[in-house]
Amino acid sequence: MRPLDWAVLVGSLASIIAYGLYRGRGSNTVDRYLLAGKSMPWYAMALSIMATQASAITFISTTGQSYVDGMRFVQFYFGMPLAMVALSATAVPIFHRAKVYTAYQYLENRFDAKTRALASLIFLMQRGLSVGLTFYAPAIVLSVIFGWPDRLTTLIIGVTVVLYTVTGGIRTVTWTDVQQMMIILFGLVVALVMIVLLLPRQITFLDAVHLAGSAGKLNAVTFHFDWNDRYNLWSGLIGGMFLALSYFGCDQSQVQRYLTGKSIAQSKLSLLFTAMAKIPMQFFILFIGAMVFVFYIFEPAPMVFQRIEYNRIQQPELRARYEPIAARYQDAYDRRKAGALAIVEARHSGDTRAESEAIANYRRAQRDVDTARREGARLVEATGGEKGFRDTNYIFLSFVTKYLPSGIVGLVIAVILAATMSSSSGEINSLATVSVVDIYKRHFRKQGSDRHYLTASRVATAFWGAYAVAFAGLGKHLGSLIEAVNIVGSLFYGSLLGVFVLAFFFKRVTGTGAFVGMIAGEAAIFAAFLFTGISFLWYNVIGCVVVIATGMAVSYVLRPASATPGTAR
Amino acid sequence: MPPDPRAMPDEPPPFLGTWRRVYTAVIVYLALLIALCYAFTRAFS
Repeated sequence: MRPLDWAVLVGSLASIIAYGLYRGRGSNTVDRYLLAGKSMPWYAMALSIMATQASAITFISTTGQSYVDGMRFVQFYFGMPLAMVALSATAVPIFHRAKVYTAYQYLENRFDAKTRALASLIFLMQRGLSVGLTFYAPAIVLSVIFGWPDRLTTLIIGVTVVLYTVTGGIRTVTWTDVQQMMIILFGLVVALVMIVLLLPRQITFLDAVHLAGSAGKLNAVTFHFDWNDRYNLWSGLIGGMFLALSYFGCDQSQVQRYLTGKSIAQSKLSLLFTAMAKIPMQFFILFIGAMVFVFYIFEPAPMVFQRIEYNRIQQPELRARYEPIAARYQDAYDRRKAGALAIVEARHSGDTRAESEAIANYRRAQRDVDTARREGARLVEATGGEKGFRDTNYIFLSFVTKYLPSGIVGLVIAVILAATMSSSSGEINSLATVSVVDIYKRHFRKQGSDRHYLTASRVATAFWGAYAVAFAGLGKHLGSLIEAVNIVGSLFYGSLLGVFVLAFFFKRVTGTGAFVGMIAGEAAIFAAFLFTGISFLWYNVIGCVVVIATGMAVSYVLRPASATPGTAR
Repeated sequence: MPPDPRAMPDEPPPFLGTWRRVYTAVIVYLALLIALCYAFTRAFS
């Protein structure tokens, strides 16, 4: 990092803190602190929802995912608009009319206290695990690339986020999210423009797109269905819809965003806008990863992008195992570059036969590059590296720090830190809200003053910030971070979704039925996770279906003899 | 039990007249995006 990078980075972060503190003025009641006094316009909520969802992991890991696996990850988001429509028509008006602070508060109105408590605890476990990952992602990557101590980076981000979140509550979180989203979008556009400008002179933008496509990196839609395949059209539409229903309908970190709306209509608009903007944004981020792939066709790319592990496997004691792999990698790399240049030449001259031959050679070389990279990863793993080692999270930042000019590096790092702050502030704020409203106020101190609960909310916010920093190291063992976050979410979301579906649509289901259903749903999800190879996107479907079926069965079996429709408890 | 839906009336959307039409527009938009992504995949593979 050069002085200009530091100036851009520090300037960006200082402006976020100052703006957050300015916007948080007047958050002096529980209603204002947790729900912004229900004063937010739709565009602020929409950008806040998007910013909360777009963490540093989105930029670090999604671009790397595209480099390695192509753009098919975008299908993961295809179910989101369907989910947003369903939620706008059901959950948004129901939550608003119930005048609740949290989604789980509604479950007590509908069922009973134990169902609310179980749902709250599931949320606290799931989100508590994820918030640590949110901090860990940038810290570990920056530690490898710049040598910054990961614990110190985590601590600095954590203290910054806690400072403005504790002070201003949800109003600060929402408005800083808006500002952070602007920085993120600007940084993304700059990054793509820079990559295209850095391509060799004879490679046009269209050539670059063709090269990415010929290597299978632009596979945005795949129809092939396989239960064990994570990303195809069907798992995206169905599994992705269930995940989005769970995330936006049952996860307090998202529900709290649209509960701050001025009206039901404003909250609906915020969700629908998010639904429409998310797929193009993810497409754009993945496309950046595909262009980084093309850039590295013409520039020397390390066999392993994680610098510390790459240096380690080149040590003299491992040289006998490393060198044959490195030789195969270099040979395949050179053939791929020659193939790419041949494709471009054939394209420019209009020679379709030569182009077909060049594409075949290029693809063969690409397969060999992939094989050598996998062998390199296995060598890392077999010689003391982490189990399941992958370097996906290091690809984009390795490119940024090595090739982008002074000032832009600082901007990209600011984007990554801004994304971390926007996600973690929302998560910490929602964890504090559930801790105070659903646990502390409901079970420990029912009759406190507004001032007391405001103080409790601030203390809980500080606690969850400290917890997130303390547990940030958990991500070290989880491979691709973007997948890790979604897998952790999918372990819990299905049963949460199931209980809300029961609450909204099944009038005869009782509190005990819902409670037992949630436990059965969690058991089914963990059984699928531990004993089958079913892709994680289906866990939400499995959990939801098991909760509904069990909830209905238990309610039917335990129904009182005199029960009448709509009065069961 | 779920609250009485009449207790807090819904506002109409700022465009397209009814929420049903807005929801339909979002689903049509999704179909269009998937079609564009498919065309993109085909064009460059």
